[in-house]
This record gives sequence, structure tokens and C-alpha cells, in this order.
Amino acid sequence: MKPLKVLKSQLYSERSITDLVLRGGHCRCGYVFFPMQTYGCERCGGHGDALTPQGISTHGTLLASAVVHLHADKSRPAPFTIVKVALDDGPVVRTLLADDCGDIAPGQRMQAKLVPLHHDDGEPVYDLRFTAAA
Amino acid sequence: MARALNELRPVYVVGIGWHRYQNPSETPYVTLGLTAIREALADARIEWPAVESTYVATALLGMASGRPMLRHLGATGAPLLHVENASASGSTAFRHACIEVASGISDVALAIGVDKRNPVRRSDTGIDHLADDAIVPFTHFALLTNEYASRHGASADDIALVAVKNHRNGAKNPNAQRQQERTLEEIMSGKKISGSLTTLQCTPVGEGAAAAIVASEDGLRRYGINPDRAVRVIASAGRSERVYAQGIGFDTALTWETTEAALTEARLTPADLDIIELHDAFTVEELQYVEAMGLCKEGQGIRMLKDGALDIGGSCAVNPSGGLIAMGHPIGPTGIGQIGEIVMQLRGEAGARQHRGARTGLAHMVGVGAVCYVHILQSRR
Repeated sequence: MKPLKVLKSQLYSERSITDLVLRGGHCRCGYVFFPMQTYGCERCGGHGDALTPQGISTHGTLLASAVVHLHADKSRPAPFTIVKVALDDGPVVRTLLADDCGDIAPGQRMQAKLVPLHHDDGEPVYDLRFTAAA
Repeated sequence: MARALNELRPVYVVGIGWHRYQNPSETPYVTLGLTAIREALADARIEWPAVESTYVATALLGMASGRPMLRHLGATGAPLLHVENASASGSTAFRHACIEVASGISDVALAIGVDKRNPVRRSDTGIDHLADDAIVPFTHFALLTNEYASRHGASADDIALVAVKNHRNGAKNPNAQRQQERTLEEIMSGKKISGSLTTLQCTPVGEGAAAAIVASEDGLRRYGINPDRAVRVIASAGRSERVYAQGIGFDTALTWETTEAALTEARLTPADLDIIELHDAFTVEELQYVEAMGLCKEGQGIRMLKDGALDIGGSCAVNPSGGLIAMGHPIGPTGIGQIGEIVMQLRGEAGARQHRGARTGLAHMVGVGAVCYVHILQSRR
């Protein structure tokens, strides 16, 4: 299958539109983080060989959400919704909620999917959004 | 840590001054800063050449803004240093002015915070995130509001009561940017910003200045400063964010750690505090921080608020100045302005805002990054 065009391929990879993996990492000390970086571990300071890339599941539990009513950057018109999700693998991420997701409340099980943003050379470009788990 | 501040020479706040916090204007920052410094010098009844060292707190003025302002006081050649530490810039400048005096390097030092509203520019770390461009500070706190409401069964109206109290206090403060009492209905029917946060539940970032002069006992004697109006700094603590367990908010964890360090240094408990000035840039913060500081159990902040315990005249007056929500948050000055408010209260000079019998006060600021600074002051009365 031809890979999909995605906005931030450095942050996630996809097997399908609804099957995504975040590109995170772990340290020798056991700390799991997202996104992957090689500067050094926030918990213990380990670097170099201590840090290894690790795929992180997008499955998690909603901690909070907020509808943003006012946003200065006109390229991202409000309203839109930001969610804070505690991933099952450890990290807590904050990002956009898919527009077609229904009402959610803290405690809701969540997962990521790809949504088409715009077209580039006739091909859709996708980005990651969270949505209520199926 | 080898030593705490109160194991060194005693340090006293001897002079305080402001330029009113206000909406952005054409007033040059030089005017803002000089107004606050001259008021602080007059308050201490000392002349500018007595100041041996100056810490200039500013986050938004750009490089080397201090000397073009200070030269108009008469260029004494004394050292000056700029401090940028996000919202905690003023608190950090104050801490280091105290440390300089406590160490014996200077007898009189000045912390001056001055800022005008300019675009915030933060350098790229080289690490990308999923949607950082979409998450500005008010959304960070809108998320925390949702989390707090869900965890403790609080309503949006309950959380907004913080703004009712702080606007009421700010209405009595001539240095506040917002000086108008607001009903809960006015606050809730205002423009929605993010989540349940409305305009009047968010700090207005404007401009202004605040100054605090600190001195040693030698400094007090040398310049004949009235010791009865001197307020001692009995603790100073600064910390930065660590890695916390999943689901533990760093804002509250950092506040807890830093407050605990300051209370331990001062040998006090939360019940000993008469006044708290804390970082209420957004309503939910006041609830989270009074709980993190140990004024009450987690989730009990709204109960205290409804009982009037956090009012002027309550068990502990929280943000009698109006806090960041009403007094304003010009960034560089904010942490120093908190010190000024506490000094007024502990001297018994706070007029319509006076919390009777105030003897001990705590100032708290957090800054993005994240950092936290806490000071405890005590009157000699």
C-alpha cells in the first residue's frame, strides 16, 4: 500500500487511518517519553546509548478537554477542541480533537486517527487527531 | 542546599512603590520604572545613592533596558543586573536582591520590575509537538479547570467565585489595572476565551512597574530607616519543575514543593499565614494553589471561598491586592508588586484593603518553563 501523506511524519507513523503509533522513546532508567529526542532524559539525564526509540500506543484515557473560543493565529480558526490524554504507555499528550467526535468527558477512553486536512498535488494530507475509542 | 536565606544576615523590605498597572499606553517604560523607584525611595526615606545594587525584572522589554532608565536617577556606577524568568521574573529579582543583602555583599539593594506588553518570543528547542501552536496558556488552564471541575464535582460558577472576590479586592486598590467590582453573572456572561474561562476570569496583561528596596540592619542604622516600618523576609525558596507521576499536574506539585520549602525555612505552618498573594492568572489556579499550599484539603478550596475564609477579614486573605486577575500581570513587576502588597498589609497601611492583625504573609509566583518562587514576610510588630 502506498504510504499516506501526513503532516508530521517525525511524530507518528501509520499502518492505516485508524491504526497509528506515536514515535516516542524510552531511557535506560525506564522513563518513557514522547516525542523521541536525543538531547537527554528528563528524569535521569541519561543520553547517547541510554535513549532508544519506542513506538507508543495512542490508546489512553481523557484527563480533560477544552473548547478554544478565541485564537490569535488566523490559520487555525476557532472554535476547536484541545484534549489532554494520559496514554496507556505513560506519557500525557495534548492535541486537537477530531471535529466529528461527539461529546466527551474525563475518563473517556481515547485513541488517535488520521483526518484529511487539505490536498497537495491532488493527494490528501492527513494529520493526527484524538477521538473517542471505538 | 548549604544554607537558607534566614540563616544569613536578616533582610528587611524598607521601601515599596508602584506605577499603576494599566492597559497598554504610549507611556515609555522609563516613566513607569522611575515612578515606582522614586516612590520606593520616598517610602524608605533614603536617596538613590544609598542603593548599592539593582535587579531589573523584565520579560518583554528586550536586551539591556535597565541602564537607560536608571541613569535618570543620577548615574552612581552601582552594578545592575537584568532578570528574566517568565511570570516569576519579579519574584526572582527580589530573591536575588535579598540574597545579596543577606550575604553581606550589599547593605541596600533594589528590585524593580517594569514591563510593557510586547510579543512573547520563545526560541525553538528543535523538538516538535503534535499541536503546540493551538495550545496557548489560557488553554492550559482551561484544561486544568475541566480536570478540577470533574475531579471535585465543581461547577463553572463555583470556580468563577475566585474572580468575584479578586475583582472586589482590586476595586479598592489604586494600583490595580481593573478597579471594578463584578457580579458572578457579569463574569460568566463575558466573552468566552477557552473552555469555561471568560475574560474576567483571566489576567489582563498590561504594563506597569513595582519596586522593593531591601536592606540589612547595618543599612537601616546607616540611613536612619524607621525599623517599625521594616518588614523582615523570613524565607525565600525557588524551584523548577521535575518529572511527576502521570496525572499529577506540575503546577500544583511545584507549588506544593516550593511552599513546603519556604514554610520549613520559616518554621511555620499554613495556618500561620494571614495574607497570601498568589499567581491567579486564571481562576482555577487560586483553588489549586491554596489546596497545594495546605490551607485546606484537596477539593475544599471552593468551600473556603464560599465561607469567606479567603476574604479580607477571613482566616487568610488571599490576593487582597486583587491578584493577577484584577490587579493585573504586567509580567516583570508582578512578583515585586505582591511583595509590596504584603508589606503594606503587615505595616497596617493597606487602608480599605487592610486585613486586621496581619503579621505574616506569603508571596507565590509560577512562571512558564516551569519555575516557582515563594517568599514569606513577617512584621516586627
